[in-house]
Amino acid sequence: MRQLMKVAAVVSASSLALAACGSGTSKESSASSASAGATSASASGSASESASASGSESMSSSAPAGNSDLKVGMAYDVGGRGDQSFNDAAAAGMDKAKAELGIETKDATAVNGENEAAREERLNQLVDAGYTNIIAVGFAYAASVGKVAKENPDVHFAIIDDASDASKGDNVAQLTFAEQEGSFLVGAAAALTTKEDHIGFVGGVNVPLIVKFEAGYEAGAKAVNPDIKIDSTYLTQPPDFSGFGDPAKGKTAAEGMFQGGADVVYHAAGGSGAGVFTAAKAAKGWAIGVDSDQAKTAEAGVQDVILTSMLKKVDVAVYDYLSKAAAGSPVSGNVIYDLKADGVGYSTTGDHLSADIIAKLDDYKAKIISGEITVPDTK
Amino acid sequence: MANKDISFAVRRGTVHALVGENGAGKSTLMKILYGVQRQDEGTIKVNGSEVTLHSPSDAIDAGIGMVFQHFMLADNLTVLENVVLGAEKLHGIGGGARAEIRRIAEDFGLDVDPDDLVADLGVGDRQRVEILKVLYRGAKILILDEPTAVLVPQEVDELFDNLRELKAEGLTVIFISHKLDEVLSVADDITVIRRGTTVASVDPSEVNARQLAELMVGSQLPTPETSESTVTDRVVLSMRDITLAGGEGRDLLHDIDLDIHAGEIVGVAGVEGNGQAELVEVIMGMREPTAGTVHLEGTDISDWEVREIREAGVGYIPEDRHRHGLLLEAPLWENRILGHQTERPNVKGGLIDARGAKSDTERIVREYDVRTPSIFVTAGSLSGGNQQKLIVGREMSHASKVLVASHPTRGVDVGAQSAIWDLMRQARHEGLGVLLISADLEELIGLSDTIRVILRGRLTGTFDPDTVTSQDLGAAMTGADGSHGDAPAPADAGGDAAYPDSLTGPALAPSPAADDIEDPR
Amino acid sequence: MTNANLRRALLSIAAPILALFVAFLLTSLVLMALGDPVKDVWITMLSKPKPRQITNIVNGAIVLYLSAIAVAVGFKMNLFNIGVDGQYRVGSFAAALFAGQAWLPGVLNILVAIVVAMVAGGFWASIAAYLKVKRGVSEVISTIMLNAIATGVVSWLLLKVAVRTAGSNAIGTKTIPESSQLEGWKLIPGASNRIYSLLLLAVIVGLLYWFVLGKTRFGFDLRATGSSETAAVASGVKVKRMVMTSMIASGALAGLIGMPLLFGQDHSYGTTFQAGLGFAGIGIALLGRNHPVGIAFAALLWSYLDTQANGLQIRAGVAPELVYIIQGIILFAVVIAYEGTRRLDIRLEQQRVARELAAQRAAVRDQEGAVA
Repeated sequence: MRQLMKVAAVVSASSLALAACGSGTSKESSASSASAGATSASASGSASESASASGSESMSSSAPAGNSDLKVGMAYDVGGRGDQSFNDAAAAGMDKAKAELGIETKDATAVNGENEAAREERLNQLVDAGYTNIIAVGFAYAASVGKVAKENPDVHFAIIDDASDASKGDNVAQLTFAEQEGSFLVGAAAALTTKEDHIGFVGGVNVPLIVKFEAGYEAGAKAVNPDIKIDSTYLTQPPDFSGFGDPAKGKTAAEGMFQGGADVVYHAAGGSGAGVFTAAKAAKGWAIGVDSDQAKTAEAGVQDVILTSMLKKVDVAVYDYLSKAAAGSPVSGNVIYDLKADGVGYSTTGDHLSADIIAKLDDYKAKIISGEITVPDTK
Repeated sequence: MANKDISFAVRRGTVHALVGENGAGKSTLMKILYGVQRQDEGTIKVNGSEVTLHSPSDAIDAGIGMVFQHFMLADNLTVLENVVLGAEKLHGIGGGARAEIRRIAEDFGLDVDPDDLVADLGVGDRQRVEILKVLYRGAKILILDEPTAVLVPQEVDELFDNLRELKAEGLTVIFISHKLDEVLSVADDITVIRRGTTVASVDPSEVNARQLAELMVGSQLPTPETSESTVTDRVVLSMRDITLAGGEGRDLLHDIDLDIHAGEIVGVAGVEGNGQAELVEVIMGMREPTAGTVHLEGTDISDWEVREIREAGVGYIPEDRHRHGLLLEAPLWENRILGHQTERPNVKGGLIDARGAKSDTERIVREYDVRTPSIFVTAGSLSGGNQQKLIVGREMSHASKVLVASHPTRGVDVGAQSAIWDLMRQARHEGLGVLLISADLEELIGLSDTIRVILRGRLTGTFDPDTVTSQDLGAAMTGADGSHGDAPAPADAGGDAAYPDSLTGPALAPSPAADDIEDPR
Repeated sequence: MTNANLRRALLSIAAPILALFVAFLLTSLVLMALGDPVKDVWITMLSKPKPRQITNIVNGAIVLYLSAIAVAVGFKMNLFNIGVDGQYRVGSFAAALFAGQAWLPGVLNILVAIVVAMVAGGFWASIAAYLKVKRGVSEVISTIMLNAIATGVVSWLLLKVAVRTAGSNAIGTKTIPESSQLEGWKLIPGASNRIYSLLLLAVIVGLLYWFVLGKTRFGFDLRATGSSETAAVASGVKVKRMVMTSMIASGALAGLIGMPLLFGQDHSYGTTFQAGLGFAGIGIALLGRNHPVGIAFAALLWSYLDTQANGLQIRAGVAPELVYIIQGIILFAVVIAYEGTRRLDIRLEQQRVARELAAQRAAVRDQEGAVA
């Protein structure tokens, strides 16, 4: 019976092997830029980008402190550390902060399908254990962060992927990403690369967060070619979150698209993306990765079919939040990691994108940052 | 304590019968000998040396083999496969095993082809396969648990021939039975068990069945005899042209016409599987007849539900009390409610009247002599006879018109048997119409006012119990009296043959056993 | 009689205690084998819960109790309703959808929404019941399938009706009006959180279960069918109708499972609504031996384990999934122990009956001897 309950569940679209990416980051960027405590994104592959993650408010420089009395508790969503995905990205950011700032950390992972009270209890346990900064990974924590933060005004909280009123509070930082903006750029890249004017999108689970990816991707592709044909599918419906961890499902879906005539497929399906890459390899088509630079983190055999990856720098956001807290100026309110803040982007590993295309993408990027183009986040 | 101070010795090369009424401790003894249960005290010696039997494999090692009453054969495997199953190490599973099986079959006169599919075999053949299985494993002492219970008379004869053959080859047979005539005809020695103790060892040539029975019971035997007739001319239950179609175009019941009068016991004789169960199910409303009508005191009840029929005053003593008459894990007082969930004193409106049911259970226990320490013990913990007395008491408490009694004394001890006979007589005396279905011809002849014979779903004969003999009935039951000639001959005569075994079912392909029945002797 | 009852009571308590003990030992062995801190784990698991946690334990037990009762109704009939999980999701969704519209004021809204949940859950179960009665499809298979279909249907409908909150990535039905939200009761002194008001619902359901099954004709028919279908048929129970009725009743009760969560905590049905309650209910019904009081204790135990396991990772560095191992072992052990004690009970009872009858006979014989 228990096995039935154990639906492999991951709550956000993410990628494989972000842990490796995270540790790489920490090695390379011992000297961070002066403007912000953020790391260079070079490890994530967007060499062309400068490393400046700037939040929307109260930014201050943080000298890397060797010792901090910060005690950081991280409450993960289902899967936790080691999910090679979204949770791992957050963990990587925290690990980097631990290594560089000397903070104390603690992991606590959600159980699949748990009660709201269980999430609250987890945060409360961390509070009880004396953690000063508690990071909740995933929007499922929204209500519980809001509630526990209110009851414990002296403790600082952060939540990733939620900016709703439910989690709002003077001691809460809401770290969100403009996934649609990054997806816009890879959508444009797909439209510029396709020879058939036919591309595809594979979403892991049909939740609003993943719809943001799809919406941005479509908008980007249509910006290049309004008549482009876009196949779109989701692997599972909530509360079945197996679509984030089932490569076989991803492969089947992508195979269908390639056979139907698409030649570039973007996935926002976490672990299922591996199947999309396999399908792309077999069909001699292109795949687009997500969250991290998957041309580096995916299995060696399929790395060369990854045209580019949409980067969602959760690790950067976490490190950013912690470094500011360590410097004595904790962030609160909604911090949006968008193109402007370099919280999202695209990778060029493998040099599959021509200079011509990169130029066009940079053009779109500038327009998005300037506000000339507004990318929709829903369909 | 089930058994106490059981002592008996079995000589090699003999058939030794263990007799005793149900619950006397035969089964327990058997389990001990086969290593399923351990004795608390005492010793078992085989060939003079003491053995400890912890498990059936110990028993087999000691040369003791068991042939169970209910066959343990896989229908979809061949005889060879069934025999070899679990004993693959002895002679392999191929040619060696086949040769060995042929050798054993030859030596002991067990006529079985190792490559036949068990599903195609008749009951007698299956039993031979069971014996073969045991011999194949090297048993020198065979225990047969009521082996004749599932056989028709001709098959019984064949079995006894086989047993004599085994005996001649130097094997020893322990034969457990309560059919005394059979015991007397086949056994060399007889040990009688009563209340868990061996009470006598007798020589079959020196006793008759009646003496043997009295040894089993420990007192004078009752006889099933009714006194003066109470039959009225008021018909309480009437069946007309009842037909119940079975699968494959055969009728399970065909054109049954049957009247039961108030104060009358109508006995139905027949080899098991000839439609008795279906007849009862139609009357009780568990099956709806394909054609024909059932009237209860003039009211057509053909399409009534079971509950309505029971509420209307039809009592039902089912053939298999464990499956149809009791909730074994429920206390007696809840079992008193079963079957009468809508009637007083069990319920008040939609609610169970526990107090009413309990006090009435006390009454039944008292009036019907149900031996139980209390009405709160589970039905399963009572002996078969007491379970049956509880059922009879329950049904008699509600049956106002008709009592349908299917094998009412099957598997009950002699004491309970005579009590149940008394109760049947009492029902008759009170003006109930009683339908008595039984395999015990003595019971039928003794109790019934009229005896009908059922053969292949048809009522083929009517007999007066005052004049009929068991032999006459036996002939009619097997169709050997030519009565089945009246019925239109079915296309597949062999397959249509009455078959006295639920394991094989009536839709069986032609088999030697069936042919035997067809063949008038 | 009192002796028999006492013996039975002792046996039925001994079995779960034995199971707990076995679970304790085996889990310790697993922990040792994996090199995890055994002591810390048990210190965490067995530490005295804080008032806040006691509230959580009780609240968790309330929903688990409802779930287990829904399962137990089927069990009593020998029906294995694995579909409770799907039925409660359908029921919760329907009730949340209805209550969110705020067509009715306050408490009335709650009451009607509860009826809606029961109807929806009962309807979902009726599909499996129909398939079993008319087509002979095993309810195990059909309810598993229907769980999957429920997941699909509910999420499809949820996407259609979902209300997006600005800045949130979660989706859910419209939040129910404040007048229909139940604040809960402060029953545990010193706790900041409250016990669900719908504890009341669990109590009512428990009482009804006890009454209907134990005291009514319908309950008798249902239990009779469960313990021997053949005997029930012969006694006049219409088994098909019984299957239909009890399956629908089970589904309707399953519809109630989400109600305490909906009105007392989440106030809408969405992606973060508690999942898997139906499956937990199966284990708890087994553990509680389908008895209304037994199930209450089992639900509390389960919820206690769930709640105490929450801190495992923080305090002992062991994944909270360990609790699945503990719960799984408890179930295994308890099923084995129950079967063992059941057989022991039957044997003891038979022996006792035989002994008492022998004693009676002896007494009669003595008397007769005296007369003679």
